[in-house]
This record gives sequence, C-alpha cells and structure tokens, in this order.
Amino acid sequence: MATRSVCGVLQRRFASAAAAVRPPAAEVRSKRNAVFSREQARQRALYPRIEKIEVNMEGPGLDGTLLIMNRGMSTPLSCASHLTEHHVTNSVLALVDGELWPLHQPLTASCSLKLLTFKDSDPTLVNQAYWRSCAALLGQVLETAFKDDFNVELLSTPEVPVTSGAFCCDVVLDPQLDSWTPSEESLRSLTRGAQQLIHQDLAWEPLEVTPPVALEVFSHSRCKQEEVEEKAENSPRGTVMLYRCGDHVLLSGGPLVARTGLCFQYEVTAIHNLGQGPLGLLRRAQGLSLPLQLQAHHTVWRKLRQRAEKLVEVPPVETENPPSLPDSTPPSSPDSAPPLTSQ
Amino acid sequence: MRLSLRMLISHGRVARRIGLGPESRIHMLRNILTGLVRHERIETTLARADEVRFYAEKLIDYAKKGDTDEKAMKMASFWMTEKDLVPKLFKVLAPRFETQSNSYTRMARIPNRANLDRAKMAVLEYKGNPFPPLYPAKKENELTLINQLLKGYRAERAQQLAAKA
Repeated sequence: MATRSVCGVLQRRFASAAAAVRPPAAEVRSKRNAVFSREQARQRALYPRIEKIEVNMEGPGLDGTLLIMNRGMSTPLSCASHLTEHHVTNSVLALVDGELWPLHQPLTASCSLKLLTFKDSDPTLVNQAYWRSCAALLGQVLETAFKDDFNVELLSTPEVPVTSGAFCCDVVLDPQLDSWTPSEESLRSLTRGAQQLIHQDLAWEPLEVTPPVALEVFSHSRCKQEEVEEKAENSPRGTVMLYRCGDHVLLSGGPLVARTGLCFQYEVTAIHNLGQGPLGLLRRAQGLSLPLQLQAHHTVWRKLRQRAEKLVEVPPVETENPPSLPDSTPPSSPDSAPPLTSQ
Repeated sequence: MRLSLRMLISHGRVARRIGLGPESRIHMLRNILTGLVRHERIETTLARADEVRFYAEKLIDYAKKGDTDEKAMKMASFWMTEKDLVPKLFKVLAPRFETQSNSYTRMARIPNRANLDRAKMAVLEYKGNPFPPLYPAKKENELTLINQLLKGYRAERAQQLAAKA
C-alpha cells in the first residue's frame, strides 16, 4: 500500500518534471507531428461521403461565379485554383461569410467566399495575419537553429500592430545561454534559416482542435499548455487553432497566411533581453519582412530595417513584460563557442 | 518671324497637307471635329488627330464666349456639319471647361492600323467625358503593408525631430 502511494507520488513528480527533463528536440517534434497528423486524419474522416456545396465567389470580376465544391474536402485554395493562377498565387486569406478563414482549411457548408490579397483596398486584416505569420516563422527558426543540447522555449507571441515596425517573438533560451549575446553573424544565420523555409514554400496547415488534443500536442511544454488553456477559455467555441508548417506545430492567436513563400524580403534584425522572467532570461527576437507583391527599394528597406532593430513596445494588453533597455545585456564571454548550428 | 528653331526650319509650313487640297483638308477636319464633339472620344490616324486637336481646343475657346457672341456662333455653325451639336457645344462643353483655360483635349497613341495600311493611330478625346479612363488610374493605398510601415517610420522620425528641437 505504502509502496503504491509512493509510486503514485513519484509518478506525479516525474510527470510534473517532464518539462524540466526534456526529451531531445527531434523526438518532441515528431511526437507533435504524429498527434497533429492523427487528429487531421480523424477530422477528414468525418466526411466519408462526398457531398456537394455551393460557393458564391465575391470580388472584382467574379460576381455571380458559382462553384460546386466538396464539403469538408475543398479549401478556399481549391476554389482559387478553379479561377486563375493569379488568384492562386496572390490570395493570402479568405473571407467566408464575413469571417476570416485560413486558405488551407476545408469548407464545411455552402457559403460566400472572398479571396483577400495584399493589394486590396483595405488590407488591414491581411497585414495583421501576415505579421503574425512572420512571427510564427521566426519562432520556428529559433526553435530549430540551436544545437540539440540547448533547450528553446517559445512563449506566446505578442500581437504588435504593423506600424510598430517589427514583428516579434518571445523566447526563453537554455540557462547555459544566459551570457550569450547574439552577434551580427548569428542574426544573419537566423535570417538564412528563415530564407530556407521561405524557399521551401511550406504551407501553414490549420487544424481546429479541442483543448485535450492541444494539451497532448504540447505535453512537453508547461507554458504552452497554460497558453492552450487560456486560449480555449477565451474562444467562444472552446477550441484552439493549431498550425503546422513543415514539421513544426504551433499555437496561433489568429489566422495565418497561406504559405511561407508569400514572404519575399525577410530579415531577423535583433534579439533583445527583457530581463528575468519566471522561466529564465526572457528574450525578444525581432524581424522585418515584406511580401513578394510589395517589395521595397533597398534604401527604403535599410531605413525600415534600422527602425526594426529598436525594441518593440508591446501594447499594454500584456503588462507582465516591462520592456527593459536593450543595452542592459549581461557581459558576454567572447571565447565561448557559438551555439548556433551552421545553417 | 522666328519663334523657335523648329519654326525656322519649317519655313512657315506648320500644318500637314491632308486630303486633296486646302479645301478638302478643311472639310475633312470639320467632319472629324463634328464626330469628336458628338462622341467625345474618337479614333483616327495620328496625323489627323494631331491636326484636329488645335481646332478642337480653339472651338472650345470660342464656345466659352457664349452663344450670344456673333463670332462664336459663326464659328460653331461653320465647324459643326450637323447643326444639332451647336447647343451641345455651348450648353455642355463650354460650362465643363469653365475652370480651365487650355488643354481641353487628350490624345493617346494606340496600335497601328492592322488591316489596311499600318497607319499610326491615335485616340482623341475631350477631357471629362463619361468613358472609362484612357490611362490606368494610379492606385495609392495608405493601408498596404509597406505604406503602414513607412507611416510608422515617419511618425517616429517626426517625434525624434520634435524631441531634438
């Protein structure tokens, strides 16, 4: 009896310490992927028979276009590919019955569909989604850029408006890296990692899941689990959106754009220290990006880039991270080996 | 008389020779100008459009004098071969260009005539007509991503300058 209770206590102990003693990153990634794929297959199997739905297209030159699509199978992207190549390459998001809809998410009922691009008359929502996706891409790069013996914990990405000049991604690095200050070289290496992902033109696959599944996906990360619970409480349907890009599964606060290939100019501009948090030294990585459809001349890009190096003040929704001065970095040890893997 | 180098070289010959003679030229221009006033946008050869353009502008200048003016009425009834266009000239076109003092017309090259003789072709129109624009309208959208970034940049820049001053 006593041994049983002791075992129970120990088990709970180990379960709670799971975040501290992490399995290797590759294993975590494959596990998350497996759970994601399983859930995706389950959701697809909900529509065993092919049923037809009617999709009314809206937009310039598309008035009165009616597409007959498959329920639970056709995505807005497949609607776009029935139109022209221009629609396929330039669509960023879809508006289904006035609701933002990721381009890769299957349609579930007859609806009216509008494809959104960067050059619409009011692209505010698209810009916000693009900024969010760039931050997600930055998180993905940060997670894979370090060697396997360094632990990278991505925190919830703060929502910043586009006019603030840079998107940002909060991250807690391994305690061994507390004295590391990123050099120009390492920022360039991160940029190169992002460029590779952009070149691969990966899709952000959306999946709407219930909290238990999301908790299983993020079973290795305590702070992600808390974020899942918080997001599930706030959402009206009690579900959270997961996205997968390549083999990286992430939790998103809003819809992301269709694919990484929409980015054209992309640069990681700075990593700032935000002081000690509950999980360790908080860092904020920042970057700047522009899509293929809106390219900047290099002089304009240089000015925007210089601005993007400054620390972004997050609007006061999140007050638990008082931004500290960027020059209060701890002294670096120049002879320590650079922790980045060569890209 | 020498106004420009081009005038000197041309030896006073400033107009093209069109048609079978001077009288034929005037008739041709009258017909084209009547068409222009009726339809407000016409398509002819480049040379004819270029010749008519001068008379089209001059006619508006006369029309602006009002239909009580004797000279203006004479000009209008001479140049309009179809007399129902005379009221249009005084009632529609003259009020439209009240604020302008010149350049009432617009001309644009179009592809050479394909079927007949490969002549250079052009479109001549009175400005302010109800047709779709000849040139694509320049789209300027303050809300695109790059313009929003630049807006933020400018605001910050203005703040810095204000702080410095």
